[in-house]
Amino acid sequence: MNVHTYEKIWLVASLFLIVGFIATVVYGAAGAGIAMVDASGGTVDSTSLSENERFGEPGVERVGDGEYEVTVVARQFMYQPDPIRVPADSRVTFYVTSADVIHGFQVVGTNVNTMVIPGQVAKITVDFDEPAEYGIICNEYCGQGHHDMEGKLVVVPEDEYGGDDA
Amino acid sequence: MATDRELKEIGHDEFDPVGTLTLITVYFLILVGMWVLTYFVEFLGNGPTVVG
Amino acid sequence: MTSEELPGEELFLDRFPDEAQVVRASLWSAFVALGIGALAGIVQALHRVGYVRFIDSADYYTVLTLHGVLLVISFTIFFLVGLFTWAVTRSLDRPVENIRFTWAWYLTMVAGTVLAGVAILGGFVDSIPISADVLFTFYAPLQAHPLFYAGLAVFIIGTWLAGFDWFRSWWIWRSENDGRIPLQTFMVLTSMLMWYIATIGVAISVVFFLLPWSLGIIDQVNPLLTRTLFWYFGHPVVYFWLMPAYLLWYTVLPSISGGRLFSDPLARVVFVLFLILSTPVGIHHQYLDPGIAEGFKFIAMTNTMFLLLPSLLTAFTVVASMEHGARQRGGEGYLSWLGALPWRDPAFTGMALAGLMFAAGGFSGMVNAGMNINYLIHNTLWVPGHFHLTVGTAVALTFMAATYWLLPQLTRRRLYSRTIGLFQVVMWFVGMVLMSNAMHRAGLVGIPRRTAEPQYDGFAFDAGLSSVAELDAQVAIGGTLLFVSVVLFLGNLIISLLEDPMEGTVDRSLPPALSGPEDSPEVLDNLSLWVAIALLLVLLAYSLPIGAIVADGGLFGPGTESYPVVLSWLEVVT
Repeated sequence: MNVHTYEKIWLVASLFLIVGFIATVVYGAAGAGIAMVDASGGTVDSTSLSENERFGEPGVERVGDGEYEVTVVARQFMYQPDPIRVPADSRVTFYVTSADVIHGFQVVGTNVNTMVIPGQVAKITVDFDEPAEYGIICNEYCGQGHHDMEGKLVVVPEDEYGGDDA
Repeated sequence: MATDRELKEIGHDEFDPVGTLTLITVYFLILVGMWVLTYFVEFLGNGPTVVG
Repeated sequence: MTSEELPGEELFLDRFPDEAQVVRASLWSAFVALGIGALAGIVQALHRVGYVRFIDSADYYTVLTLHGVLLVISFTIFFLVGLFTWAVTRSLDRPVENIRFTWAWYLTMVAGTVLAGVAILGGFVDSIPISADVLFTFYAPLQAHPLFYAGLAVFIIGTWLAGFDWFRSWWIWRSENDGRIPLQTFMVLTSMLMWYIATIGVAISVVFFLLPWSLGIIDQVNPLLTRTLFWYFGHPVVYFWLMPAYLLWYTVLPSISGGRLFSDPLARVVFVLFLILSTPVGIHHQYLDPGIAEGFKFIAMTNTMFLLLPSLLTAFTVVASMEHGARQRGGEGYLSWLGALPWRDPAFTGMALAGLMFAAGGFSGMVNAGMNINYLIHNTLWVPGHFHLTVGTAVALTFMAATYWLLPQLTRRRLYSRTIGLFQVVMWFVGMVLMSNAMHRAGLVGIPRRTAEPQYDGFAFDAGLSSVAELDAQVAIGGTLLFVSVVLFLGNLIISLLEDPMEGTVDRSLPPALSGPEDSPEVLDNLSLWVAIALLLVLLAYSLPIGAIVADGGLFGPGTESYPVVLSWLEVVT
């Protein structure tokens, strides 16, 4: 092969870029602690969610000191529950599934974002440190009312948080 | 004008793509700068983030 | 080296009249799709931002399906088959073996497009119970009419037959000639091998699951499985769009620049890398899917990052080839040689600007490839912002520019107006700079893609130092410029064809590379070896994730129903 010196330099620089990108992502996972949504949520029969132990009653549940579980059902064209209320300075695990087609679950203005696939449970854990109000949107086309599908997530100050259903 | 004025014939050995090296170096620097900005400022600064 | 050079005095049209007819038919099919797709595009751009909403928001998704399918399937692939037929015929310097067979695959592709097109257009007419408002990705359990899936299958079969046609030409050429595969034919064959491997996924998804399901033969499908099979196909298809543009950048652009390809061996290496690496990466579209373990996502990311390599190498080789042209035209210095390039030639300027936009799209693609940063941009407007730079400019603008260059040798007509041509390619560039810049920035603040009305009741997007109104204005202006650019392109072509045929000759010969194929190891031409490696990587990347998806949810899903898009629309109304 007759490869010009400059081209060899560029090849090395390109490999440096590639390895650098992978290293950054590894830092994000190992250093900054960012986890990917994965198979740990398990599967569920989306045709009988009302009989399901978890998804029969979507809502917020306190499971420990500053730890909450939020069960969310996405369906054409709404989220249950809506709004979702959790206290600040808490660790919240969302279990999200769909009652019908594929949806998205994106907390606008944050890095909380997952696909919602019927039959699969998306399990994601998020730390909410500060009180805030966020919009939740469906970011995957789910039918002709897709653009109306939104919800709300309210992180209330710890001392104002009245309880699971408030 | 785009008239084909083939002034000279340059072969492989006499051609040093120094202009290409210049452009590609600039591109490399832009890529590194934009990546750092997007990953560390836009992304890591956009919390809360999924941690588990 | 028998055939890299076509005799300058003979036009393709005169030397291969039958083939030129097929090429013209394919290109026209592409341009019809481009025109309708562009119309759908401007309707969407103005609807999304809320400037002009003359369609119902429910119909937005029919328009979006039409826009996606016509532009990324019909426009790109019809242009591809025309260009590849031209490239194989001229680089082997032999006619196709049987012109009836060539017409047969072309007509098969047309039939597939019409079937799918009818299913999509049915979505506009409520009284017809046919629709396919499922977008380009047709994720189950949203369900299209069977015609949609059948049309897609027929179209893909047409492309398989086309590939067979080119392979057959090469097999016969090889029995009569010694030496290396001519470069253009090499590019066509490696692209098609990639395509055969990639389409296995969508063929299985459509034939075994979606089509029987839409016909009521099976009750349900596993949505994660059909989605994974789609993306098995859905990433390599983007390289299938890109390969004809690469073919043009490597083999035509150097000549238009007044120079020669810098390195034939590296061009071959690049196409081999695409063949090997394009498929085992599809899971990077599913970084945020539940049901797929993080390890599988990480493997897909590593493969994707290495897939940057052939594009980065291409950037060097293609720019160096242009620089060679500039220096032969008297260009000097580190950067001032750029001024010696033929910027008044729309074919050159279109391809050069397309390449520049591809460099920018390269950056947003690197972000898309980065696994955890996907939380920031997944399904936001950033993603269509990215692919309007790649398929929407690198590919589409290169195709339009190449059409200006191909026109005389395919039709014996001169381009009606080079000035309009130049204006048109620059207009595309400016329109896309505005539109895609705004889309990327809108994505970073969380504005979603694929949404008729990205304006919500409960909250407002925070565009930081800018405002959503400013981003909307850029999308609207950019989208309008792009539409006008397509109108100018098609108008210029149509008027050209009404002109009288040219007399005399046009030199469309392509000079050989500075560093020719003799500088590269013979193993590069061993296509069976590269296919074996590509299949091995596919097995490594996909057998475990697909195994896990089927083990967890079953072949036909853990329990889902069907959602024909027509019914869901009725539910909204009632």
